[in-house]
Amino acid sequence: MSDDRKRILGMLAEGKITADEAEMLLDSIDSPAENATSATASSPSAEWPPGPSATGTPKFLYVKVTGGKDTVDVKVPLAVLRTGLKLTSLIPPQAMDQINESMDEHGMSLDFNNLKPDDIEELITSLREMEINVNSADGENVRVFCA
Amino acid sequence: MNAYLPPLVIDVRVSETGARNFRIWLPFFLLWPILLIVVGFALLVTALVDLALFISGARYHHYTLLVLGSLRVLASVRGTHVNALSDDSHVKVDIY
Repeated sequence: MSDDRKRILGMLAEGKITADEAEMLLDSIDSPAENATSATASSPSAEWPPGPSATGTPKFLYVKVTGGKDTVDVKVPLAVLRTGLKLTSLIPPQAMDQINESMDEHGMSLDFNNLKPDDIEELITSLREMEINVNSADGENVRVFCA
Repeated sequence: MNAYLPPLVIDVRVSETGARNFRIWLPFFLLWPILLIVVGFALLVTALVDLALFISGARYHHYTLLVLGSLRVLASVRGTHVNALSDDSHVKVDIY
């Protein structure tokens, strides 16, 4: 049994987390192992979490850090990205120019004025295909994906 | 209309080894009446500004939409979950 599992079960026994939370954390620990076994022929959409969104527009951005000292599990609705990008088209031109200049100074030459609503939808749909998987030497696994 | 509804509840749970568990259940919906007044006032002002800008022929007259868009961004954070577990602590934040 891994240290993470022991720690989670210990916290469950101490009553610090509920059974549901323990299950979710155990699932998040299990997922890197599944990734490792399917790493050679992996298709992000074929992996966890399955469901209707696996083939449609992704709904959430997941960030999972496991295997190391800390376990982190973040789930952010992609609606934040969608509405945030749409909001950029409503920012006053003077402010937008300043934003673009500032981003350019920091090495990000991205003109938000050119973003169209269709582009935003296409961008979000294509995020379904994206998966970032970082395995560090100390066994920590960072996984970023949308589903 | 649902897309404009701000978060209902923010649930923050912190547990540490050797310390008392800590949980805050923030009933954000109690702030809705205040938010409604603030947003209503802001919409009224921006609508007047937009009208004035439109009449004067200004190219940009979308401040009302900007306020509504900001409200949508606030509403879209519903469903955010953060779960962090370390050796001696567990932090969980849920926005409903």
